[in-house]
Amino acid sequence: MSLSSSPLAYRGGIRHRIAMTLRRDWQLWVLLLPCLVFFIVFCYFPMYGIQIAFKDYKAVLKIEGSPWVGLKHFEKFFGSYYCGRMFLNTFLLNFYGLLFGFPVPIILAILLNQLNSKRFKGFAQTAVYVPHFISTVVLAGMIYLFFSPTNGIINHLITAAGGKSIYFIMEPGWFRPLFIGSDIWQNAGWNTILYIATLTGIDPQLYEAATIDGATRWEKIKHIDIPHLIPIAVMMLILNSGSLLQSNTDKALLLQTSGNMATSDIFGVYVYNVGIAAPKAQYSYASAIGLCLNIINFVIIMGVNAVSRKMSDISLF
Amino acid sequence: MTVLSLKHRKRNRIRETRKDRIFNTFNLLFWILVLFIVLYPLWLILIASVSDPDAVLQAKVLLWPVDFSLMGYETVLQNSELLRSYVNSIFYTVVGSALSVIITLAAAYALSRKFAGKKLVNLAITFTMFFSGGLIPIFLNVLNLGLWNTRAIMILMNLVSVWNLMVARTYIQTTIPEDLYEAAVIDGSNHFTYFFKCVLPLSGTIVAVLSVYYGVARWNDYFTAQVMLRDRALFPLQRVLREILASLTSTGSSDTFFAAYADNLGGLQAALRKAEVAKYCCIVVATVPAVFLYIFMQKYFVKGVMIGSVKG
Repeated sequence: MSLSSSPLAYRGGIRHRIAMTLRRDWQLWVLLLPCLVFFIVFCYFPMYGIQIAFKDYKAVLKIEGSPWVGLKHFEKFFGSYYCGRMFLNTFLLNFYGLLFGFPVPIILAILLNQLNSKRFKGFAQTAVYVPHFISTVVLAGMIYLFFSPTNGIINHLITAAGGKSIYFIMEPGWFRPLFIGSDIWQNAGWNTILYIATLTGIDPQLYEAATIDGATRWEKIKHIDIPHLIPIAVMMLILNSGSLLQSNTDKALLLQTSGNMATSDIFGVYVYNVGIAAPKAQYSYASAIGLCLNIINFVIIMGVNAVSRKMSDISLF
Repeated sequence: MTVLSLKHRKRNRIRETRKDRIFNTFNLLFWILVLFIVLYPLWLILIASVSDPDAVLQAKVLLWPVDFSLMGYETVLQNSELLRSYVNSIFYTVVGSALSVIITLAAAYALSRKFAGKKLVNLAITFTMFFSGGLIPIFLNVLNLGLWNTRAIMILMNLVSVWNLMVARTYIQTTIPEDLYEAAVIDGSNHFTYFFKCVLPLSGTIVAVLSVYYGVARWNDYFTAQVMLRDRALFPLQRVLREILASLTSTGSSDTFFAAYADNLGGLQAALRKAEVAKYCCIVVATVPAVFLYIFMQKYFVKGVMIGSVKG
């Protein structure tokens, strides 16, 4: 009886209620404690430090003692040449990524579903998931090796075909294709899971009826598979568009070189370069940029969520 | 009887139309192409790692190892920094994931029950998914706590993932029947005994899912070490790999990395050639654990994604 949560138990003043709750549920709080401590110390403590975006942080003065400077760092950032370029780079990298990357898993899922041989299907499914487990460092390393101007297999093929060797990793024009292409190679297979699950959930009677009516495979895809996939695809599209200004910092950092800065300079990498990697780290300035980005992304996600809830009844929260 | 039923089945099957057979052929060809694109780069890495350096540098290794040699692996094994980082990575992955799984499961169980204040806790945890202090405040926080450049931060950073927590909570809510809880309470059980004696033994699947998710994420992470560590003795594998594989400016330094053993000029030349193949070997050694874990735990993995997609 001591564990029941009858609403009758909540009576009396707030102090009394807290005491009652604790007496009844203290064990749940104990189980929750390590997790809560983690979130408080590693997620909420840093939020206190956001104030340095409005200060001139000096290590000796600590966060509290550093002088307030208002919006100085924000003005500096928005006034700088890099600001517009970074917005564009971050946006375009994500936009092209979505444009080219989004349809691939859907097509793969539909065509995988049409394979006749169960064994081949199983093998194909296992195989396309594998690249997902390769680390970002190794993926970047593979790009450096395969696209190397001197020893890389790609350039060997180009020169063998009579072309001129390309220094891919130093060319601004090749940064986005390399980044997005390798992303599709790595994750398109893994992203089919959701669509395959949707397809396996379709009532087999629909296919049987279609077969009896003389539908070809192509017609079944068009009239059964695709209509079933549209709701989930729309949902994924909406959710993904919420991250159009978020950046995959660790991968971009690995693929950034002195040559491709014009396209590879995105927010996350810039914050890292200015605030951590630079010999004279500008903590406050980098925090200000990070804060701008966090707020923008927060607003985008909330907006996208509201739209999605209105349109499709599907929302994150 | 079997013969009869087989015949029967054959007669009853609707024959595929010509259009369908064309479709099937093209689909099969398409999948052969897809599998080639997916698997060939991996195969290339594997065969290059056991080939002669000269053949690799001249791109003669295309389908099969050329002049089989384990020279690259010898170079890798002789490199004490790589070995040390490998041991570090195993330590961070095993200890970190074990801690992550326990903490996540305990919290997931608590959040699957009703109690006053749960809504607030849920909100506070979910909020961190969409808003964070940002890289610099996180870095300064770790610095202030005195955890910067320690082994502890490699364990504590990203200890609990909100996503995994939700997956675990949904799993507990949907697979462990409420009746069991009521029966346990009548038998005098409290939350602790119920969690340890009933929930944990029934959570084999989710423990596997979480271990693999956390394990692979930790094994593959380099960014935490990039920001939080300076002492080379603490570096995990991926951080060292970055210097060897994925950096133009340090291509030179990665060569010297392996060439440190050569004591004369001729030895240096040979070492530089070896270094190129050693890169392929590094990739193999770094990737094999994660990929194997995936292949062994395959069925759980997919299940994990499915649990996650059920809204809890």
